[in-house]
Amino acid sequence: MKLQHYLGGLEGLGPVSTETRVFVEPWETRIFGIHTAMMALSAQLPLPQTPSAFHTIWTWADLRKGAESLNPFDYFKYRYYEKWLGGISGYFIQHGYITKEELDALTEECYRDPSKSLPSAGDAAIDDRVVQYLVEGDSPKRDAAVTAEFSVGDLVRIEDVPSVEHTRLPGFLRNKTGVIETVYPGAYTYLCDTGPDGIGPAMTVYCVRFDPNDLWPGNAEPNFSLYADLYARYVASADVSVSVKAA
Amino acid sequence: MSERFKYREDREVYSAARVRALEALLIKKGIITDRTVDTVLEFFETKMGPFNGAKIVARAWVDPAFKERLVADTPKAIAELDLPDGMAGAEGEHMRAVANAPGLHNLIICTLCSCYPWPVLGLPPYWYKDPTFRSRAAREPRAVLAEFGLPISKDVEVKVWDSSAQIRWFVVPERPAGTEGLSETELEALVTPEAMMGVAVAKAA
Repeated sequence: MKLQHYLGGLEGLGPVSTETRVFVEPWETRIFGIHTAMMALSAQLPLPQTPSAFHTIWTWADLRKGAESLNPFDYFKYRYYEKWLGGISGYFIQHGYITKEELDALTEECYRDPSKSLPSAGDAAIDDRVVQYLVEGDSPKRDAAVTAEFSVGDLVRIEDVPSVEHTRLPGFLRNKTGVIETVYPGAYTYLCDTGPDGIGPAMTVYCVRFDPNDLWPGNAEPNFSLYADLYARYVASADVSVSVKAA
Repeated sequence: MSERFKYREDREVYSAARVRALEALLIKKGIITDRTVDTVLEFFETKMGPFNGAKIVARAWVDPAFKERLVADTPKAIAELDLPDGMAGAEGEHMRAVANAPGLHNLIICTLCSCYPWPVLGLPPYWYKDPTFRSRAAREPRAVLAEFGLPISKDVEVKVWDSSAQIRWFVVPERPAGTEGLSETELEALVTPEAMMGVAVAKAA
């Protein structure tokens, strides 16, 4: 299991940050821009071809896999965009776009001379596609003919699916019981296939309400409910006899 | 192990050099252009940002029927307003708004990462991305909100929404008392990203 999948409810962490800035160091803006460009230029999107040399897939799922694979101490130690910088640099090296040696060498040069200017190059069609992606997005919703198994008000049990490198099931909900609050119309894909975790293909998404006193008995605040949007793969019948019959 | 708990002394200088080197290499290799990063940043300064969310909330305050439509079908209601193109764009393809009311306070979290409704709120502030916030808000929202300077009485129901699928959430805060004479534009100035995620309430200036 990965701590990053089980953050909800973790105790003993001390006060929260109340920092309202989006970026706390100017360099963070640059890695955010690079990440967003990668998402926009990612190979699976139905957007116009550009002269960009980027030819692989990069989505939120790739960024999240990197964060979820970190040593959990490092996950808490490093700031948000420090983790992005590590993950994104690693991706470009791993996929052969750049070498670690050239990145290290140029880092050293930029370190010695922070005013070192960026090269001037590039086809405007690349930037047009980036803007097009931001404006149009990448909807995961499909008109696939799926039948929602559950209805609003149904009692459901959350599956304990195999633990893999990436999931959209918050760990603290595994094996817990909740009530369907919303059945979202249509069907939703996920950004990648998560293997035995089971999301990726178009399926129903539910919003499920949980009683925090069921999640953390005797150890949650009163008069509140926790809701989570969950892919149908994670949602099962709370009726044990039905589960047994289906098995 | 103790090395793990130390930061390099030149932590920020090093990261700044590293990201500059990375951007330079990506331009040199033809992956991005010398304008790409600035193009993205300009988009978030002018097209996608909390200024859109503020307009949506101000309209909900002056037009209760719009507020009902906003909660019932968020993208459709947003499309009624004269906002920049892209309100159903990246990270806003499917949005859902929940409204605070007397006796009800909503809080949006993302325990797995930092899902945030880009078109209407721009990029997430650091508090939202903080693993400590994401851990604690799921179990003890009132204790967390008190640390933001927002005491919520036990009589008020709290709803915490964890954005774990592809729907992006925001809160319609309540219109503050004493703002009856304000124009819609003046009301927009009272709406903060924090109020639209539920760690603050809107206050009269």
